Amino acid sequence: MTSVNFDALKAGDTIDGPAFAVSRESIRLFCDASLDYNPLHLDDNYMKGDFGKTNFGGIIMHGMNNFGLISRMLTDWALPAGAIHRRLETRWLKPVKPGDTIRPAGTIKAKQTTAKSRWVLVDVAVQNQRGETVAAGEAMLEFPASAKAG
Amino acid sequence: MAQAESSAATPFETDFWKDAKLRKMWDDIVPGEPRKTLPYKLTQEAIALYCRAVGETNPLYLDEAAAKAGPYGGLIAPPAIHILLMFACTPADDWMRSPGTVNAGQSWSYNIPARPGDTITLQARALDKFIKRERLFVVHDNVFFNQHGDVICSGRGQTIRPM
Repeated sequence: MTSVNFDALKAGDTIDGPAFAVSRESIRLFCDASLDYNPLHLDDNYMKGDFGKTNFGGIIMHGMNNFGLISRMLTDWALPAGAIHRRLETRWLKPVKPGDTIRPAGTIKAKQTTAKSRWVLVDVAVQNQRGETVAAGEAMLEFPASAKAG
Repeated sequence: MAQAESSAATPFETDFWKDAKLRKMWDDIVPGEPRKTLPYKLTQEAIALYCRAVGETNPLYLDEAAAKAGPYGGLIAPPAIHILLMFACTPADDWMRSPGTVNAGQSWSYNIPARPGDTITLQARALDKFIKRERLFVVHDNVFFNQHGDVICSGRGQTIRPM
């Protein structure tokens, strides 16, 4: 991957994330990796029931799996440039189910220089194979003036 | 709040129904009250499993020799390892495990990376709770520390509580 440079970055530049195929197995693996064994992610019978006004119809992927994929995209982009992933805020918009393929992406929104460092704000989103946005949010990356990771 | 004894001796209970009755409902949750937490020793195996689950391949997390030559001077965990730490550092009766808890959004700030071998501690509380469109929300406030007392990361989240 070509390393990015703070001065050359501009609003509208994009970051491409990896495609991720969601399956019952990937969700189960995420249970084991996160220790989040909520029946939302494991139990189809439980998921036949209603959640308030919502019925998911079957197990759903952990929302934090989206978060982990966005974070992976950001660190893979930032680390080669000596930049540091400092913040990520996300909200979930649609459930993700086995059989879906999701992909995170980012768009540079703004750059900011503060008294002691340099920052890049990135709009992030995860879309499914139908082009629906399933998660969205904002990230902040630090580009230390010395380009040294800390 | 004082930390409970380490859970190292007891295997992680994966049946979240088992202790469901011990957990606080939305009605019982007091904003501001510290949650009971457990110290957790983060292992390279746990980091590698997390990396596999989200497809992380960066050598900083997985290749000791490469990591040693890198900017952190050794292996680190990916920033989002707090996804695991949240459950690893809370006991079976914690309300994050209530079946039907729906994550409504999160924001996390990262200070320094967690490393394999770190003993991680958590300070956590509900900061707020509210009702919106007939749904019961709790706002979470979490800070993870390493064994030196350094902040690893801090986060705020919202969950919709089961009725």
